[in-house]
Amino acid sequence: MRFKDVIYPFTTWKHILNEPRTIKHPEDREGSDRYRGFHTNDIQKCIGCGSCEEICQNEAIDLVEVDGIETTHGDSGLRPKVDYGRCCWCALCVDVCTTNSLGMSNRFRWAVEGENELGEHGSPEDYRFVIGAQNKYWDNVKEGYKKPDSYDLTPSTAVEMDHLSPSERSASFVEMMKGYTRQQAQKEADRCVECGICIATCPAHMGIPAYIKAVREDDLEEGLRVVYDSNPLPEVCGRVCTHKCETVCAIGHKGDPVSIRWLKRYIADHVPAEKYAEILGTKQIEKNGKKVAVIGSGPAGLSAAHFLSTMGYAVTVLEALPNAGGMMRYGIPEYRLPYDALDKDINYIQSLGVEFKTNCRVGTDVTILDLKRDFDAVFAATGLPLGRSTRLENADHKKVFQSIDLLREITLGNEIIVPEKIVVIGGGNVAMDITRSLARMQKQKFGVVNVTATCLEPEGQMPADDEEVIEAREEGAVITPGYGPQSIEIKDADTLLGLRVARCVRIFDEEGRFNPSFNTTDTRYYEADMIVESIGQSSDMSYLKSDLNIAFGPRGQMVMDADGQVNGEPWLFVGGDMVKGPDVITGIATGHFAAMGIDRYLNSDDRD
Amino acid sequence: METVLKNVRDRYNVLHETHTHGVFITVSPNDVIGLLAYLKNVEGFTHLVLLTAVDWIEENQFQLTWLVNNPVLKQEMGIRAFIERSVWPEESVMDSAHHLWPAAKTYQRELHEMFGIDFPDSPEVNEPLILEYWDQLPPYRRDFDTKKYSEETYFPREGRYTRDPKTHMEAKLYAREGKKQ
Amino acid sequence: MLFDDGKMQKHKTGQIVNSTTAEPDLGSHKYSKLWQGPNHPGITGNMSLELTLQGDEIKKMRTHVGYLHRGFEKLMERRRFINNFPLVCRIAVPEPDFNEYCYAAALEELAGIEVPEYAHWMRTLILEMARLQSYLMWLGGQAGAFGMGMVGQWTLYARDRVLDLFEELSGARIYHIFILPGGVRNTLPDGFEQRVNETLRVIEDTLKDVDRVLFNNAVFKKRAVGLAHIDPKWVDEYGITGPNARASGVPRDVRVDNPYAAYPHLDFEPVVEFDGDVYTRARLRWRDMLLSVDLIRQIFARMPKGGEFKAQLPNMLHWTIPKGETYKKAECTRGEYGYYIVTDGSKFPRRVNVRGPSYTHAVTLAEMMLENCNLADVAGTMVSLHTYPPEVER
Repeated sequence: MRFKDVIYPFTTWKHILNEPRTIKHPEDREGSDRYRGFHTNDIQKCIGCGSCEEICQNEAIDLVEVDGIETTHGDSGLRPKVDYGRCCWCALCVDVCTTNSLGMSNRFRWAVEGENELGEHGSPEDYRFVIGAQNKYWDNVKEGYKKPDSYDLTPSTAVEMDHLSPSERSASFVEMMKGYTRQQAQKEADRCVECGICIATCPAHMGIPAYIKAVREDDLEEGLRVVYDSNPLPEVCGRVCTHKCETVCAIGHKGDPVSIRWLKRYIADHVPAEKYAEILGTKQIEKNGKKVAVIGSGPAGLSAAHFLSTMGYAVTVLEALPNAGGMMRYGIPEYRLPYDALDKDINYIQSLGVEFKTNCRVGTDVTILDLKRDFDAVFAATGLPLGRSTRLENADHKKVFQSIDLLREITLGNEIIVPEKIVVIGGGNVAMDITRSLARMQKQKFGVVNVTATCLEPEGQMPADDEEVIEAREEGAVITPGYGPQSIEIKDADTLLGLRVARCVRIFDEEGRFNPSFNTTDTRYYEADMIVESIGQSSDMSYLKSDLNIAFGPRGQMVMDADGQVNGEPWLFVGGDMVKGPDVITGIATGHFAAMGIDRYLNSDDRD
Repeated sequence: METVLKNVRDRYNVLHETHTHGVFITVSPNDVIGLLAYLKNVEGFTHLVLLTAVDWIEENQFQLTWLVNNPVLKQEMGIRAFIERSVWPEESVMDSAHHLWPAAKTYQRELHEMFGIDFPDSPEVNEPLILEYWDQLPPYRRDFDTKKYSEETYFPREGRYTRDPKTHMEAKLYAREGKKQ
Repeated sequence: MLFDDGKMQKHKTGQIVNSTTAEPDLGSHKYSKLWQGPNHPGITGNMSLELTLQGDEIKKMRTHVGYLHRGFEKLMERRRFINNFPLVCRIAVPEPDFNEYCYAAALEELAGIEVPEYAHWMRTLILEMARLQSYLMWLGGQAGAFGMGMVGQWTLYARDRVLDLFEELSGARIYHIFILPGGVRNTLPDGFEQRVNETLRVIEDTLKDVDRVLFNNAVFKKRAVGLAHIDPKWVDEYGITGPNARASGVPRDVRVDNPYAAYPHLDFEPVVEFDGDVYTRARLRWRDMLLSVDLIRQIFARMPKGGEFKAQLPNMLHWTIPKGETYKKAECTRGEYGYYIVTDGSKFPRRVNVRGPSYTHAVTLAEMMLENCNLADVAGTMVSLHTYPPEVER
């Protein structure tokens, strides 16, 4: 043993003058800025998607209703309630939160003092509460764990779809978006958190998370079955749907929403048509002997025809134009919805035994009373076939056209004399359709595009989808939002001079009525050889009005129930753009509901 | 590593090999102990890293994995053998490696307890290692359901309920639409 | 079965099996039985030693674990890959980060994920900090086992300083859940390096004090030198790794043998000592702490000043990993820590096997070593093996 081994331990004494290092009042010590303490939740920002509940491995989170939070589109109205007897403070719920509303404070001490609201001296229930809604002292604490930027448990950027470049597409009607490959689709489907918030917002209430799951798991047959449960036009909707679902998509709050529409298209594109009947179990449909007539072969009519025939009804579809499809064929341009895609959907519906009578206009070729006599029920969905006019002076000039008429002529293959200078009035999707169609035709004919679209709504508030506007501009069209038409200048009965527009300062008046006012000092003048009006469409219900006992409301709308069954004429159901919408998916939904309504009506006892 | 593998292939019937995430070779259960002894004594794989089992209930097999390490060459090799998965209370049987590594007996005791795989001759193999008075299905077998066990053994907290956003929104927003009465 | 009467065991087949040692005959009135644990400061964690004594000499020792058994490996088979992170950190309470690292590294290997450079350095930093704080706690325990309580007071203060840093970095003092597949969960906070350096100085001062008070202490030397000697021959037989092996002159250090994370970019040699007794193991760990201090300084000097800290992975809610199996290991304070993971292409692991170094140290090795040892030395010996029961029973 060394002497120093006895002496050295005494060096301990040097600490005798040191201050104690123990924290005297640990209750005053704050957690660090990233401390994972009690949760905070901005319940106004939270949408109740339930991802936190889903990822919690301790099952500590329940979704419950909360006073003052309504269930609306994009918000389930539910909020997370945490059981602190189970929480392990891992903060995965914070990381997965789709709205970034969840966080954690750096406060970790809390005990119930005195009696709680139940009159008990603290019970385990006190440690189970809806975070952010029960006035805890840490609710507004800024410090504490928050999800770091640039780190996500769910990928926040959407998979881009391959598409034709502006130069490739500007003179061509070839479909612009190329569709997802399998790898792209699975990657995109992987982003879904399966909350199901989109389902309420989809007018047809499609099983969106279920078919996205099928894409993810590469089970397209199951995906097709889920899609056809509520939507018999997936090729169409997969391309041109207004995709309201994507506007409420939970993960859209902190990144791109899931490209739900493209995934639906992927399913429809990748299941061969000849396998449909086998997959969907429609090879043999038992007929029930009843007959239903469908007027109009647009989305609503086709949807009703599909669901009715799967129920066993013999369905006859009457279509005034030479081909089935309605606006999907005669309105939407080919570069957005190619005819073979549309035909794939329609051919399958036809294969169910649906009879199509084309070139047959109800009201001229056959009357509604004939149909009432020959069929057990009738579903009318004739859409909005008439263009609305600006009613400006000279709006009836022969070089002033309706967009809807031009689009129909293009599909029919009739020649349109495309001039060098065109002005389109309107800022909706139809206006963009005709703008881009005419731009393509100008490019083909002259090699240059000279088409201008103008609308009342300012930049960013145009009714058209953003990508439509962006793509139209890429293709050379000039879009000048925020101006309203003032006068159409003409040279003579055959020749136009142009359109004068003025800056629109207000579209709706104080009472919310459409009543635009203009700043007439800020005007523009566009030279034009052709003006196209595209400011809206209206229905043509003359074939119904004359012979039937239908009640119409104050604004000319038909009185009917939620399934479209018309008051006074119970055998008649209506749907589609003429009653609701206008868009494809709403039409499909109304057709579906009407089909179920017809089925119920024809099977009910009180039917006369 | 290639030399070792070649030597092993020369001497033993190697049924399967994977090299993607480390070297793993499959041999017949009868060859395992001999192979382990060869690897330990001749090829320098003197360190038994672990011994464990994987329950492939679908194929009615237990996979046993011995992981051995050569501390000089810093190489690692997994030896796999598939044995028949017995129906409890019958036990599957495998040869013991405790004579090569005394440490193996603990692994074997655990496998016996947790998977119901017996290693005859292994010291104290019948002694429970972790569990006390356990007479049910060995718990690490796939068909032992932990959730069910805990639900039967413990009780849930009262008053808890949760709502599914999807069905809740349906009830609140569109219960009437297209619904058959 | 658990409270066996010390008789020869009968195997099911009826054949009589020899235990490792001859069984003392309890009926002879020469022996007494003593249970040390499951709650005992001389055994870090909840584990009990069943001691058969003759006088104060131990004739037979059996380790009993199970007091902490939560079936982690089994639970992991029923949870998403990401949901296992809050579980794995609980397998070794004092140093969760090695579990997180091994588990994440194994998943990355199986799923083919590239970890950003910056994340590698962050991980290395975290692992070295974890090593320091675990050693500091252990050092207090080792001194305490020989009756020197104040060393523990000092080292726990230093450890708390490291935990403060962890709290600042990850938001939690113990269960950090900071290493995730693809990288780490956050960047370094501003000024972190400076605060780490301050803490490193505190630790160095503490270690100097400990050197004088413990390693140059006649009492400790008298008790620990020559105690519980590990023969280098046992290293492979008993699966001994880490400091327990290095103190016997066998240089086993995963950081050097199979470098991972950013260790290939650091300059260091494994610390090796030769005497293999309690004193040497303590000394080796003390030197290992100084090495960690040095490594942390190297890391700050060499790591990139910023960058991507986590690779973007698929949606963690339905992440599947292709069928495969792998073993990933790291050097923790007690030796080789490894995760053997088998996946079957589903959302959950098929099997996770945790190879904790204590598994061999606490059972087979301790049972052998404590034979013929004095009762008073049990605590010192057990602590010097540095075992944590949760990784034995998982």
